[in-house]
Amino acid sequence: MKQAYLGIDVGSISTKGVIIDDDNQILSSSYIWTEGDPIGAVKRLLRLLEQDFPKDTYTVMGTGATGSARKLVGTIVGATIVKNEITAHAVGTTTFYPNVRTILEIGGQDSKIILVENGVAVDYAMNTLCAAGTGAFLSSQAKRLGMEVEEIGDYALRSQHPTPIAARCTVFAESDLVHKIQMGHPREDIIAGVCRAVVANYLNNVGKGKKILSPVVFQGGVSKNAGVVAAFEDALGCKVLVDKNGHLMGALGAAILARRSKVRKAFDFAVEDLEFHTREATCGRCPNNCEIICVYQGSRLIDAWGNRCEQGAVTPE
Amino acid sequence: MKIAKRVAFPRYAEYNCALKYFVEQGLDATYILQPALTRRTEELGAKYSPDFVCTPFKTVLGSMIEALEAGADTIFMTHGLCRLGYFGELQEQILRDLGYTFDFVNLSEYSTGKKRDWLRAIKRVNPKPNLGKLTLRAWDTIKMAQYLDQVTDFYYQNCGFDATGGQYKQIYQQFISGMYTAASKQDIQVVYQRAMDKFQRVPLDKPARPLRVGIVGELYTVMDPFSNLELEQKLADMGVEIHRWMSITNRLVHYPGENNLNPEIRDLCTYEMGPTSTANIWCAKKYAQQGFDGLIHIKSANCTPEIDIMPVLQNISSDYKIPLLCLTYDSQTSDVGLMTRLEAFYDMIDAKKRVRR
Amino acid sequence: MTASTPATIGLPRALLYYRYGPLWRTFFQSLGLKTVVSPPTSRKILDQGTALAQDETCLSAKIFLGHVQELVGTCDYILIPRISNFGRWRNMCTRFEGLYDATRNVFRGSGQEFLSYNVDVLQELEEEAAFLTLGQSLGFPPKEVKKAYAAAKKQEQQVWKAKLRAQDQLYRAQGLKILLVGHSYILDDPFVGKVIIDALKQSNVTPIRADIVDRNAALKASPKLSPTCKWEYSRELVGSIALHRDQVDGIILLSAFPCGPDAMVNELLVRRLKGIPVLNMVLDGQSGTAGVETRLESFVDIIRFKEGSL
Repeated sequence: MKQAYLGIDVGSISTKGVIIDDDNQILSSSYIWTEGDPIGAVKRLLRLLEQDFPKDTYTVMGTGATGSARKLVGTIVGATIVKNEITAHAVGTTTFYPNVRTILEIGGQDSKIILVENGVAVDYAMNTLCAAGTGAFLSSQAKRLGMEVEEIGDYALRSQHPTPIAARCTVFAESDLVHKIQMGHPREDIIAGVCRAVVANYLNNVGKGKKILSPVVFQGGVSKNAGVVAAFEDALGCKVLVDKNGHLMGALGAAILARRSKVRKAFDFAVEDLEFHTREATCGRCPNNCEIICVYQGSRLIDAWGNRCEQGAVTPE
Repeated sequence: MKIAKRVAFPRYAEYNCALKYFVEQGLDATYILQPALTRRTEELGAKYSPDFVCTPFKTVLGSMIEALEAGADTIFMTHGLCRLGYFGELQEQILRDLGYTFDFVNLSEYSTGKKRDWLRAIKRVNPKPNLGKLTLRAWDTIKMAQYLDQVTDFYYQNCGFDATGGQYKQIYQQFISGMYTAASKQDIQVVYQRAMDKFQRVPLDKPARPLRVGIVGELYTVMDPFSNLELEQKLADMGVEIHRWMSITNRLVHYPGENNLNPEIRDLCTYEMGPTSTANIWCAKKYAQQGFDGLIHIKSANCTPEIDIMPVLQNISSDYKIPLLCLTYDSQTSDVGLMTRLEAFYDMIDAKKRVRR
Repeated sequence: MTASTPATIGLPRALLYYRYGPLWRTFFQSLGLKTVVSPPTSRKILDQGTALAQDETCLSAKIFLGHVQELVGTCDYILIPRISNFGRWRNMCTRFEGLYDATRNVFRGSGQEFLSYNVDVLQELEEEAAFLTLGQSLGFPPKEVKKAYAAAKKQEQQVWKAKLRAQDQLYRAQGLKILLVGHSYILDDPFVGKVIIDALKQSNVTPIRADIVDRNAALKASPKLSPTCKWEYSRELVGSIALHRDQVDGIILLSAFPCGPDAMVNELLVRRLKGIPVLNMVLDGQSGTAGVETRLESFVDIIRFKEGSL
């Protein structure tokens, strides 16, 4: 039996998973919507991954979890490594693009920039206060225009004269968008304008003060949008690379980290049939009123977190 | 003679122990210590504050409300060189509009720098202060704040390497509670000495060249663990030596002064850019020159002077090739979001250090 | 640089330009130097400023950086004064203390040279001394610099007095009068404040600018409304309200998002100004004019309704 490694990246919008071998070749991969239910999404994801996975030749011996729900998912799947998504993205990308200098990443709620030198991340930044440079902004604007977010990328490329859209913040941008629609700007120009606004916002917020050097790799869900890619190339004046597996890069990074770590533990796909649920409890022992998340497998408490101090500590059974 | 006044200051890191000592031992009044800062404090403050003030304004306002709830009848508010100097007047107005009755001693009204004006403020609490005693107790208060800063510095530089898994933290917490109950100069000395002695006896598991991170930033958020979501503890727990020069006594008592610091940062800036700007730029440059592994800049949202030094810090980061993490805190900043950023920062500086070796 | 090869000084048309424009231009011209002023604020200038500025910086400072960018490469020096204070209780917002250095750090590597003068009266650096140092650093003898400064000061006074006289007329105008409270760099900027002024004029209202006021009288009057307000420009506006509130029908507080001093002072004013309609408006330079017009119109309607003329 050969060894394989599973990487799972559960974000607010989408859930991604890959299984790789010792040479980082993808044996199975999947990409689904989280739909506000990370536990359900992970179970669905595992079922899909299992379908393509050559069970007869490989066993999964390491599991990495990343993304905003990494802690929860790590507990459920019994991950051998739990890593933040910034590191996971950097590791994934530098493995496939050893010369990369800049990684642009735009996901559902978060966006980040990672600067790389000699294959090592040397600086990074993440969006601070506002969602205007992220996928959530793009989806809501597409909806307002009566389109699916997947359609708007190619639609944007048709535009000759992108409409300038105020991009400082979602609320202001939306009122400006409505205004531009009412004034009669053509739809493709508005869509191209929205793509540009995403890029302008990203560069003004996340990319501020960062020297963006080529080769540039762009990933995250939004990298699938050709309109945003074109807007980036326009703004940066250089080629922007989008990997066909760019949306999986966090999961790939998690799998690679699991491979690199020394911890080995056979993964059992039976997890997808187990019953998990979470319960939120308010501590109430001090006015912080910490919200404590308790994770149960069946009726057994397997993990808990969220307390700021010892008073709220919950010990798993 | 005991004065009937029940005096409170807003909560600020652990400095309230020094203020308590001064009020009780120097002014002979009762000190009301409201609960430590919590989410409730922040929510209370945010509810009654205008939108675009910096986060400390909101936290301080919340803490004033909690002091009034705890039975204080006199609230002191400091003056300051940035917007801080105007906090008091607006906060008093907001509290009066909410219907609270209390005496408000706004040091901004007395901030001419002359001794007799400070005395006027003090007489609002104790009309007949014993000046000799007051002066002596004021010196003790400064000493206590100095010890507090010194021990805090030492703690964060070493607690991440505590081999016993918790003794360091325990000693530090005992030290803090000791200072809150200190009633004499001797008490202060004993509490300090005991903590330092105990620290020396804790075994450390510290590499010869540990990861070192220098922290600079806005006066309130950089020092107050509640406001910065215990950034120093979180990072120390990953195994990092934390350095933060900015503290009350370093800024107010030991500050080398604009004229001494400016020549050292002349290549980056010509003038004093704001009340803490020179110190922060000087510190950041010093940490970079000393080969630190990373820099973290902390500020609350909308802090004008700290926003303006960011281009300078970015230039230091690129000149010395030292990673810089800029963190802006507002009442929506979450523990989870901070952890993601800190873990990634740690991974980055750790990987960088390995490559260089 | 010597006096024999005349240099060109770039003046960004933003922030302090609206206060010191006549002083700067006359000073440099009297020394035989050329000045070049950036064009009025446009969408392009705002966008390039936004790209250069920290995200949280106020609109006015973003516009300022856009103007500096416009001048880079077109002149020998760009003037950015550093003004800290004019004495006790007469401070500038810290942004003006840091502006020169922050800008220089943003444009490091552009090859552009900058020029500054330092006013910090608490450190005994008065404006006249600052200009003397400035002129000498450009290679002019003290006597010539002093003369240029005197001429500049005279010109500044003349322009200012004419403005004050015109302002007096406005308070005597018939019909609805609204006091517009905002920094001169907001009210004078065609991209920001002028939109408001024009909209008010269209509704047959006389807008009166609070920033054009006898400054000494205003400084004296400001503690009546806000005793610990220490920012010079805010005090002028607060004092102006204290002096003129009985001569107008309503007050509009106009600030640029997110102006530090205004966020606090305007909140205090809203709480303390009783018995007169007050509208607190924050402009971000991004949203279209439609929303602004609606808010202004309804405010004017409320005043007219109250006075029984609607």
